[in-house]
Amino acid sequence: MKTVVIEHLARVEGHGGITVELEGDTVGSVRFDVFEGARLLEPLVRGKRYDEVAAILSRICSICSVAHSLTSLKATENAFEVRVSPQTELLRELLYRGESIESHALHLFLLALPDYLDYPSATALAADRPAAVLLGLRLKKLGNSIQEAIGGRAIHPVNAVPGGFGRAPAVEQLIELRNGLIEGVADAKAAIDLMASLPAADFCHSDTIYAALRANVDSYYAGDEVAVVSDGGQTIVPAADYRTLTNERSVPHSHARHSRFQGKPFMVGSLARLSVNPGRLSGSLAAPAARLDFRLPAGNPMDNNKAQALELAGDVERALEIIEQLLRARIRDEPPAPVHPRAATGTAITEAPRGLLIHSYTYDGEGRILSADVITPTALNAASLEAHLRQTVEQCAERDDAVIAKRLQMIARAYDPCISCSAHLVRRR
Amino acid sequence: MKPLLLIGLGNLLMGDEGVGCFVAERLAEDPRLPESAEVMCGGTDMFRYADRMEGRSRVFVVDALQDKGEPGSVWVFEEPFPGLDDRQEHAHHLSVCQAMALLGMTLAVRFTLLGISIPSAAAGSGLSPALTSRMPAILDRVLQEIIGAPEALLFEI
Repeated sequence: MKTVVIEHLARVEGHGGITVELEGDTVGSVRFDVFEGARLLEPLVRGKRYDEVAAILSRICSICSVAHSLTSLKATENAFEVRVSPQTELLRELLYRGESIESHALHLFLLALPDYLDYPSATALAADRPAAVLLGLRLKKLGNSIQEAIGGRAIHPVNAVPGGFGRAPAVEQLIELRNGLIEGVADAKAAIDLMASLPAADFCHSDTIYAALRANVDSYYAGDEVAVVSDGGQTIVPAADYRTLTNERSVPHSHARHSRFQGKPFMVGSLARLSVNPGRLSGSLAAPAARLDFRLPAGNPMDNNKAQALELAGDVERALEIIEQLLRARIRDEPPAPVHPRAATGTAITEAPRGLLIHSYTYDGEGRILSADVITPTALNAASLEAHLRQTVEQCAERDDAVIAKRLQMIARAYDPCISCSAHLVRRR
Repeated sequence: MKPLLLIGLGNLLMGDEGVGCFVAERLAEDPRLPESAEVMCGGTDMFRYADRMEGRSRVFVVDALQDKGEPGSVWVFEEPFPGLDDRQEHAHHLSVCQAMALLGMTLAVRFTLLGISIPSAAAGSGLSPALTSRMPAILDRVLQEIIGAPEALLFEI
């Protein structure tokens, strides 16, 4: 029996990454361990007032703090039947696009790119190819600037509140963002060119089931139905019935619960969004998709990186469109819609950068949380990632530990998992 | 712009893991803080504050340190941060050492890491009694590093 272990995935001791057991050419157990901050923070909101919840749960993740904050607000508003204004919908979508630009740029340039180009880290890559890293940092900064201007601060937005926004961004801020985004269009094109130039990562083939929000408009925030697609078939799951999608169960080797739909793992994230909503690849994304040789249905989980690059280009364009809409509509401060707490349950699903994010709360009559359920994309992806890790090893003709380990890391990273990023520690060697 | 920047890292809802932010909050109100220093709480993603680091003479990063040290001990690490784990993370973060190295390369900023030994990292608001009782000594030690930095004698840059 041989064991391949890739540790150091987590920052919290005792949660150790990927373990694969091999018996000759036969793959035994494959285990992926995630430390799930969401599970630990859920109890902290019990008894909290409805207007405190989003600020607390945004701290589940620093990269996805906007996603957690906005999904939390949407769940609360669904519980109390609050309808937000069209301006609020646009601002929230813009905030979401800022987070997506930042998150995809960070992942593609600082985490995935060193793998493709065979560098041990982003710092090593930066020493040899600074232009590539600086391109990623410029795009990341663009995403940050949107979040800071709209969300009110660089991290854990405070401006989005139940029913609306604390204050609308000034016209001057939007114009400044627009100018940055116009420059960002060229950077996003350069990102596509860079991705297209990378060596193929073609070592895992799989019939994958994808799940994503089905939306009539190009939106990460709007929509209340999840579509699950496989082999040309499609099943719709309303947000309120999310448990029929997730079917969570504990597994002994991981802190995250695993989800299966009709007994099978499914993948969420950029690749799933484009698989569920292929119409997004028409128009301006058609040429970049062809440049990347990106085709649906995708049978290679590594294509999630290509899908992120396409979304990055789409996010920059969509953010520009939203700003133009806001300027045309003469954006102004408007009071948040009134919130009348009552005993109720509200569920919301949105598309965080790395996939479906679910928040579901039950409130008492005074608007205090009785129970909270938060399911992250990384938890939803855990079973699918394990399946793809297994297939990667099974399809690897070389039984060389280094080759297997590199491929396992690339597959895990392609999922862009959020592993214990609610914590931030330095460790001694 | 003030020549010195201190960023406290951590999550206020993860107990002792948030010690960097607690230190930053306390220092921001400490009258002993030199005029040449600015303090901010950076959450768990220091990349978001790259703009605010650019142009500084020196950036101090205060973060929780997972080791077997006495809880509340403050350890000073200079680049290239020997003895610290700098392996590439597989999550959507870089390790703090990698982030400092990359930001140091791209922003030409000198980083000093002040690591505070913590006994545990678990969900919960507030610090453990062990760290709470050591907080005055932690603040003294962190201030000693800031005040002792040659850049502390500079004014606006």
